[in-house]
Amino acid sequence: MPYDPIILITQDNVRIRIYGNGGNMVITHTSTLQTQNEGYEPVDLDENGKTQKPRLPSTKLQEIRAFYTEYYDIIHPLFFIFLSFWTRFYLISLSDIVLWDEAHFGKFASHYIKQEFYFDVHPPLGKMLIALAALLAGYDGTFDFTSGTKYPENVNYTFMRMFLASFGAWMVPLAYFTAIELDFSQHAVILVTLMVLLDTAYLCISRFILLDSMLLFFTFTTVFCMVKFHNQRYESFSIDWWLWLIMTGVSIGCVSSIKWVGLFTTALVGLYTIEDLWDKFGDLSIPKSIYLKHWIARIICLIILPILIYMLSFSIHFSILINSGPGDAQMSSLFQAGLIGNDFAENPLELAYGSKVTIKNMGYGGGLLHSHVQTYPGGSEQQQVTCYHHKDSNNEWIIEKQREAQTNDNETEVEFVVHKDTIRLLHVNTGRNLHSHQVAAPVTKSQWEVSGYGNDTLGDINDYWVIEVIDDLYTKTDHIRSLTTRIRFRHKLLGCYLRAANAILPQWGFKQIEVSCDKYNNPGDSFTHWNIERHWNDKLPNGGISNYKSKFLHDFWHLNVAMYTTNNALVPDPDKEDILASTPRQWPIVEVGLRMCSWADDVVKFYLLGNPVVWWSGTASLIIFTFALLYYLIRRQRKYKDFAPAQWSHFLYVGKVCGIGWLLHYLPFCIMGRVTYLHHYFPALYFSILMAAFMLDHFTISCKPITKNIIFGVNYSLIIMVFWYFKDIAFGINYPASELKSRKWLSTWNIVD
Amino acid sequence: MSDQNQVRQRQIGYTESEIPIQEEFDDRKKEAIFKKRESNPDVVSRIILAVLTLLSFVTRFYSIEYPAQVVYVAIFISFNWSTSFDEVHFGKFASYYLKRMYFFDVHPPLAKMMFAGMGYLLGYDGHFEFDNIGDDYISNNIPYVGLRALPATLGALFVPLMYMIMIESGYPIITAIFAAALVLFDNALICQTQLILLDSMLIFFMLCTFYSYVRFYKLRLREFSNEWWIWLVTSGVSLGLTISVKMVGLFTVMTIGVAVLIDLWNLLDIKRGLTMTQFRKHFAARAIGLIVVPISVYLFFFYIHFIILNTSGPGDAFMSPAFQETLRGNVMNLQSFEIRYNDTITLKHKDTSVFLHSHVEHYPLRYEDGRISSQGQQVTGYPHEDDNNQWRIKPAENFFNTSRPENDTIKHGDFILLEHIKTNSHLLTHDVASPLMPTNQEFTTFPADDKSRYNETVFQVYIHDGDSNTVWKTKSSFVRIIHYDTKVALWTHDAALPEWGFKQQEVNGNKNNIEKSNFWFANEIIGKNVTEPSEQKEPRKIPFLLKYFELQRLMISHNSGLTKPHPYSSGPINWPFLIRGISFWTNNDDREQIYLLGNPFNWWLTVASMAVLVGVLLADVISRRRGIKPISDPVRNRLYNSGCFFFLAWLFHYIPFYLMGRSLFLHHYLPALVCSYMVASVVFNFMFINSVNYPISISGAGAVVDYISFIVAITIICISFGVYLYLSPLTYGTPGLDPSGIYNRRWLDTWDLHFQPKKGEI
Repeated sequence: MPYDPIILITQDNVRIRIYGNGGNMVITHTSTLQTQNEGYEPVDLDENGKTQKPRLPSTKLQEIRAFYTEYYDIIHPLFFIFLSFWTRFYLISLSDIVLWDEAHFGKFASHYIKQEFYFDVHPPLGKMLIALAALLAGYDGTFDFTSGTKYPENVNYTFMRMFLASFGAWMVPLAYFTAIELDFSQHAVILVTLMVLLDTAYLCISRFILLDSMLLFFTFTTVFCMVKFHNQRYESFSIDWWLWLIMTGVSIGCVSSIKWVGLFTTALVGLYTIEDLWDKFGDLSIPKSIYLKHWIARIICLIILPILIYMLSFSIHFSILINSGPGDAQMSSLFQAGLIGNDFAENPLELAYGSKVTIKNMGYGGGLLHSHVQTYPGGSEQQQVTCYHHKDSNNEWIIEKQREAQTNDNETEVEFVVHKDTIRLLHVNTGRNLHSHQVAAPVTKSQWEVSGYGNDTLGDINDYWVIEVIDDLYTKTDHIRSLTTRIRFRHKLLGCYLRAANAILPQWGFKQIEVSCDKYNNPGDSFTHWNIERHWNDKLPNGGISNYKSKFLHDFWHLNVAMYTTNNALVPDPDKEDILASTPRQWPIVEVGLRMCSWADDVVKFYLLGNPVVWWSGTASLIIFTFALLYYLIRRQRKYKDFAPAQWSHFLYVGKVCGIGWLLHYLPFCIMGRVTYLHHYFPALYFSILMAAFMLDHFTISCKPITKNIIFGVNYSLIIMVFWYFKDIAFGINYPASELKSRKWLSTWNIVD
Repeated sequence: MSDQNQVRQRQIGYTESEIPIQEEFDDRKKEAIFKKRESNPDVVSRIILAVLTLLSFVTRFYSIEYPAQVVYVAIFISFNWSTSFDEVHFGKFASYYLKRMYFFDVHPPLAKMMFAGMGYLLGYDGHFEFDNIGDDYISNNIPYVGLRALPATLGALFVPLMYMIMIESGYPIITAIFAAALVLFDNALICQTQLILLDSMLIFFMLCTFYSYVRFYKLRLREFSNEWWIWLVTSGVSLGLTISVKMVGLFTVMTIGVAVLIDLWNLLDIKRGLTMTQFRKHFAARAIGLIVVPISVYLFFFYIHFIILNTSGPGDAFMSPAFQETLRGNVMNLQSFEIRYNDTITLKHKDTSVFLHSHVEHYPLRYEDGRISSQGQQVTGYPHEDDNNQWRIKPAENFFNTSRPENDTIKHGDFILLEHIKTNSHLLTHDVASPLMPTNQEFTTFPADDKSRYNETVFQVYIHDGDSNTVWKTKSSFVRIIHYDTKVALWTHDAALPEWGFKQQEVNGNKNNIEKSNFWFANEIIGKNVTEPSEQKEPRKIPFLLKYFELQRLMISHNSGLTKPHPYSSGPINWPFLIRGISFWTNNDDREQIYLLGNPFNWWLTVASMAVLVGVLLADVISRRRGIKPISDPVRNRLYNSGCFFFLAWLFHYIPFYLMGRSLFLHHYLPALVCSYMVASVVFNFMFINSVNYPISISGAGAVVDYISFIVAITIICISFGVYLYLSPLTYGTPGLDPSGIYNRRWLDTWDLHFQPKKGEI
């Protein structure tokens, strides 16, 4: 055959492959002695032999060498941890202004400290940790974190940044030990560590008050725990096995509680577990009861435990934020009633004609019925009616009778609204009636448009709505109670139901939620359910503090759906070119960097850009792996033996962890419609770094020690030199950017104008 | 008999994926077996085929002449397009072909060409514009029945093709009849193929591809024989035709591609005993037959497309200036002039079509919101021709390379001044907020003889897609005018100034200078008479591939841009369950309507069968993992090779729609539906017959068919026929239905039929 195997593997180095290094035994049930003897690189074999039988060192130099060889698996990590903390903390307070998204996360910390309810698209754990940092720093919540402003005296931003940077610093030892657990050679382990340590993007993003350092930290711990767990696979249900399984679950819970991007890491663990269980399923030697136990253990540790952690973070979130704040409107009316500083308790209990109300949609992420003077650009071109989360006076409506029934209106007598009453809703600020007609709604074309039309006297029968009570939380009544009664509005003439289902209007509708009239009567559709949120009526007494209590599970679910909806609404505006946004295609080739602050000469500037050597070699290694895998597969199909079985499965295992891990963290961004930024690539980068070291290791396995030293040495020095050359973009550029002209390697980097 | 014995022998231990090499066939014997089979045509099968075809033509041609209006096609298509496409539809495209006028459409050209060819044969000259909803075919003298006969004929051929695919795949006749009948009585297929729409061609070519590929695959024991090559190339040509109709054809390519890859992978297996040289030959043959041939076919139709459409038409505006110059009689071709220094021009904004304008009035010192202006001369956007729109382009002295002649052409990146002729002042912008947008810079002018703010009057011209040698031309070059000093772009937007600005449009400096809305173009050079062509230019020639790539890019970007929501659009999840149909046409007088709706019985049956298939496969995989083999090998192989192929086809024609952002309609499901009918028949076969004609490559034992399977098949076909008949008024648009008729046919609440009875009407 025309092909020659590209790697000649003798039985000896096959062993090395299988048993790994550093004394971390993968197959512990084989002879311990053998493992220790063969555990190291061929280079170290002789010296290892010496350490087994220590002799008296004859010179100082030999003494140091002997010490090093005996303890290098402690010295290395310590050395890297030191470097890691040094790089992360070095000059951390150089820039004393609020940088980039510090504006958001600092603000959230203030909300926690003031215990005000706010709304954000990310789960709360990361932000609570930031708040903890702020609390420890003695911050009192008074600063408003406006982007670009100088931190005042009383905000110890240095401590806050250091707190978060320490998460970033631990990434380095995690990478080191993960590489060891993946049975990389000592050379490759150092390569992985250096790449993580000296990547300017990881460094830069870790040094600010952002979620990313925590997200990356927990991504790293998840991978570490997973490979650690994998290495316990021959000792199922041992203490170590349980420990690492539980740790994996905890990591998953934490990473998903920081950003939803953590779900991609979760998916990696999920796929690994499914494959593992499938393999065990085919192993007929495992008794059924043991197999079932495997399932149960994983369900408890990898599904239930993370969910509990995720929910726990929300539960703490709710218990901290007990005051009314800017995020109230995203939640159900009942939840808001439970917040301190909220005046819902002053609502008169039952709805009467002439009451001024705000009306809240009860669907997940539903807003308040809203109208404003702007008109629809198409359709009827009448006044827009939308759903809006922000509280303003445009949300206020007055309950009026039908025009024909208004004649016998009495000034003092109170007439309550009851089930199946026909009413008119009058918008307070513009005086228009809530109106619907046979015009297709602007977004949901299959439903009718809802608009504001006419005024108190002018109008037609299309302004009439029948109010239908579904149920009340506490009592069974025909009357309509604020907050607790669920109602629907049926259009009297068309028979359609008022509905707002999170369809976002285009820019002309200020991206508010579309309100439409649904032709189909679907009583279970919560988007057609409404409740009275605020209620004012001078003729009625205040309702007093009723015991409004909402259920945690309901609030939890409601908030998550609201987060999801808001997240999906973050779509790129095709008319605007966002200078910060970038597309997934640009990331692996380092086509773009990101300016984290203004580029004026007198500002300390930070430029989010990966270390090009690290990023490019990561991407290249993924491509090389694909081709190598294809090559080996084809050769296997032709029955060439390139690998021992254990070696082949190790090759596949590491390839799957890195390759699928990378794909899972990268591909979703290509499919997602939302705006993407450079830092979305960072978790994926880790897997490409592991792959780079793995590939280099793989192709140098049969090299002479000296060749291997040279190859890896060149790589190390390249990474170090390029990092040194670019270090200022992460440590802070406190000189005019024009001096960095020579660093503009690609024309697409906007590092200088 | 000895042959028979041989065959029997051969079957033992034979599985379709792995042919034991030690049992090599003697070539002579192989030929003999094939001959035997071919010389023994199955008469019964042929008669059945003929009957099915006849029935198929009857169902497809019934009431084809009704209604004689352009209506349904028009309503349906026109809302399918974003605003710029309104009023355009396939009948219109045929007219353009016949008039050889260039048009733009997101679909490849084959199907439209077929319509045009049909029109040409029928003597239609393309005079009718298919413009208005309700235009009458008869009074306009359109051979519409002939035009509709084309898709209807192809639609009728689905049925025999379906039958033959199943027969060739080795299923018994009853299974093939079952498959054909499901297609025969599908209301959606009938409805869609009776109209002047593309889907009929698409599905026809898709079925041709499957048929030829099955024939090709069956010949794998006679590799590289003439027939083998013929069916390979036929598969390739059919594939090419499929993608030439609609880009959806790419899903068919994916299906065949995956099947071929699996096939090649098995060939690579050492157990097959092929040397690498032989394997490479296999690989090359498939690469040629299934990659090179389809691409050539696809490109060929574009080549024809460009040859036919050589005159300027409604599609010009979509194309680049260079492309437009290849069209006869194109405005750009006639009116594009190079601009030289010291020419006086008018500048028009690309998006809002206003001229850059200035006049003697100044900005007020203080705006209503309290902000302060520079009180300079106003610069605005004005939509009408006016002397105040004229600007002279002068070189910026400090930046001008004096070796260039005084009246040199203006190139990409040149530094210029813009002098307003009427007021003798230079355009200027500075760091003062514009009247309406505090974030953007104000534009004003500054006296030409005052050099004190000279640098603030220098602008750079950037031509879209230009390099330093590109010359600025009127009409055809889009330019961004960037201020040298502050790097803002000359920009305007659809916002009117207050009374002091005569309600003209605001012009300001946009800090984001790479936005697409910054484009302007020079409308004319004053003094050159633009209406009178300077000389009769011959259309330019550019290489075919350049033209093709430009068009292809545009097709893709416009296709994904079709996101305008529509009342009858629906998500992919709704399709297999037939949640909603599409209303094509209504006639209020007789309560007639055409509503695209599948045969619900057939559709729901396919969903059920696919669920069964997935269940069976899962059960098989899981039990095999535990060392149990519940299905006999031949049946299992057929299920995997044939059933999974059809299932894969369904997946590939269906799942990708989930990833598409554009608005989607029920008819996008039809290709997948046809695939799902094949899956349904395979499942029927598996459940009630449970044996197959085996092996299929050579004549072998026939399937054992018992009477139960006949009863089941006939029952299903009868129900299917009944449902078809019941819903046929909605499919053919005639006869009209009374309110209770509509009410009874509305099986799901979500079928939004017209003329639904109001309360109390029944």
